[in-house]
Amino acid sequence: MSATRPLILSPGPHLHSVESTSRIMWWVNGSLAPAVAWGAFVFGPRVLLTILGSIAGAVVAESLAARMLRRPASVGDGSAVCTGLLLSLTLPPLVPWWIAFLGGAFGILLGKMIFGGLGFNLFNPAMVGRAFLMASFPLPMTAGWAAPRPWFGAPLDAVTTPTPLTTLREHGLSAAMQSLSGHGGPWNSLLMGFRSGSIGEVSMVLIALGAAVMLVRGIIRLTIPLSVMAGLAAVTAFSGAPGLHLLSGGLWLGAFYIATDYVTSPSTQGGRIAFGLLVGVLTGVIRMFGGYPEGICYAVLLGNAMVPAFNLWFRPHRRVLAGSPS
Amino acid sequence: MVKRLVATFLRGGIHPDPHKEATRDLPVVDFPASLQVTLPLIQHLGAPAVPLVKKGDVVRRGQKIADSPDSGAPLHATISGKVKNIDRHPHPTLAISQAIVIARSAEEPLVEEEWIEDPNWQECPPAEILARVREAGIVGLGGAAFPTWRKLTLPPDARVDVLVLNGAECEPFLTSDFRLMVERPREVLEGALVIARAIDVYDVRIGIESDKGEALERMGAELRRLPASPVEISLVSCATRYPQGAEKQLVQATTGRLVPLRCLPSAVGVLVQNVATAAAVREAVRFRRPLMDLTVCVTGPGVMQPRNVRAPIGTQLQELVDFCGGSREGTSRVIAGGPMMGRSLPRLDVPLVKGMNGLVLLTGPSPYTGGYDACVHCGRCLEACPLGLEPDQVGVYVEAGRQVETETFGALDCYECGCCTYACPSHRPLVQFMQVAKSAVRRSQAAKVLKG
Ligand code: SF4
Ligand code: SF4
Repeated sequence: MSATRPLILSPGPHLHSVESTSRIMWWVNGSLAPAVAWGAFVFGPRVLLTILGSIAGAVVAESLAARMLRRPASVGDGSAVCTGLLLSLTLPPLVPWWIAFLGGAFGILLGKMIFGGLGFNLFNPAMVGRAFLMASFPLPMTAGWAAPRPWFGAPLDAVTTPTPLTTLREHGLSAAMQSLSGHGGPWNSLLMGFRSGSIGEVSMVLIALGAAVMLVRGIIRLTIPLSVMAGLAAVTAFSGAPGLHLLSGGLWLGAFYIATDYVTSPSTQGGRIAFGLLVGVLTGVIRMFGGYPEGICYAVLLGNAMVPAFNLWFRPHRRVLAGSPS
Repeated sequence: MVKRLVATFLRGGIHPDPHKEATRDLPVVDFPASLQVTLPLIQHLGAPAVPLVKKGDVVRRGQKIADSPDSGAPLHATISGKVKNIDRHPHPTLAISQAIVIARSAEEPLVEEEWIEDPNWQECPPAEILARVREAGIVGLGGAAFPTWRKLTLPPDARVDVLVLNGAECEPFLTSDFRLMVERPREVLEGALVIARAIDVYDVRIGIESDKGEALERMGAELRRLPASPVEISLVSCATRYPQGAEKQLVQATTGRLVPLRCLPSAVGVLVQNVATAAAVREAVRFRRPLMDLTVCVTGPGVMQPRNVRAPIGTQLQELVDFCGGSREGTSRVIAGGPMMGRSLPRLDVPLVKGMNGLVLLTGPSPYTGGYDACVHCGRCLEACPLGLEPDQVGVYVEAGRQVETETFGALDCYECGCCTYACPSHRPLVQFMQVAKSAVRRSQAAKVLKG
């Protein structure tokens, strides 16, 4: 061997999968691109400003905090962008960009960096940011629902309109379905997203597409999303509108993208089922008995608080004394 | 009988790129007889062997030159020539150890002991089999290098009814066992029959990963040619999944039995032997031929011409690499064994020792060069661990200086297969956290015993 340079001595294993945290984060961000584009189409390009504002807030907060804490710059790992992006997708379309900026910054600072950065936070930073905005700017956060583009090619109206779940809450199921009976009929408008709602939640099809990308790449497993849906379905089964609950209010965005956040969800399979069920049940309870028509945000935050307990209650099953000579 | 079911262990495991294409179709080539070999007196765990020769003695290939005083195995000359010295020499894993150096000049012919076939080898009594296996200096050739005669000496209360031969070769890159099964299936099968006889077992299962179709075919064809015997041998095609060749996992795949944690397979009535060990046992019992050569897969992106080489024990690794065209520019790591569980070597001027079945030259930085990040709790290590341990928790506890509290997360059970580290997106050195935790827990337990 041409011993030009010394051999590296390193512990095993000497091979590593190509996956890395930042690669995963950027895949998550990328898989949301169709939903972003659709949000911009249905609610008009101005929502892009809201999205960029939120991402900018998260990124600025992360780099400033990292500098203050003398930690290596971590913006490149894509997780701050992910937080900002997810937060903005849960916002009503009429929220101004600077509010989104504050939400992103607050979520990163108080939701993540004061705990020590990525990996140490207990609560989902995007949802911390959203809870902060709900408390500080209740009006735009609850009334900023822009009227959607009614169908392909139709122009945008500059009016606001309540979300299906708000209508359901205030006027009952038939009124809610009535509000959805646009061009394609209620189910079509739920799936395609020609309806009012938050920026990123409106098209189930595109959220499902992004989720499929994450599933195929092994980034998430179905455990948490299915458990969330099961929990919500169980609670809303007798409300007469479980289908509407399952298809709106940001449930899919929440179940596939927010509740599956690695850091703030359990890492054991059993823990994930329990966590998902809890989030789903809480979402249903908040929607039916609480003060918010969407509910997923607080349900996720409450679920987050239980994660350390779930990790300890649902340990991997270890076969210490199984099997015997046959 | 050929069983063509796809069997596997059921929990955890990973699918690394097998990287076997470079050498899988290359027949094993003999290393041209060396002029000098260095035979360390430590070839495996335990006390060093004691030399039976002294400087200046003339030895023949195959002559016993050192023996172990206790539970080890003897050592044999692997070339003929003169004992040049008995001194401290670099050792691949121990840094330095006493070694016997044998040298000959290029003009001298290679003189080998004569090996006469024992016509009654198939009727050899179990005690005699063990004696011949010990005398031949055979150790586990799958990498463990545990003296085989000791493994075959079962504890009196063990009731073993199945012999499992390990032909899984689940480590990426390596193809030496594969070539053995393709080229010399008869030797493996006869070795299996001998071992079965030694431990009085009539059910032999040979586990081979399903991507090694050629090995399954050749072994199956040879199996049909084998004369009828009360011992039933079956081939089990196992899923291609690391660590299929780990003892516990292979036992589950081939027999469906679960080996409890911290127990040997004999706890569920199984004994596992590597296919190469079986072939060596056959040589020892049939011809009384000691273990002198090893089949090493010299491969990896750092090798010019990867090859499967059959070389005498004691050959310098550098000579093996040169025989394979030398190393490429940019070779940064040399791994003895497979890249998942092998050890990285600081140098190549060390001899080939028993149990080394691969030499993998890797290029580029090690997976740990870029440092590692905090655990993001993704759960991949939990999914990857074949034993159901919690390396994520152990890592966090070790970082917090609380490693003595990690027994509950499985620190003592880890067999260091590396699946967790391989899968961790934060590049955390989880196997090393496990090692730190394991020794801390052991120390604190020992301290408690002393106090109480
Ligand atoms: S190295 Fe240990 S903890 Fe990691 S996967 Fe293997 S057995 Fe499990
Ligand atoms: S794979 Fe790594 S990051 Fe994921 S849970 Fe395990 S230790 Fe944490």
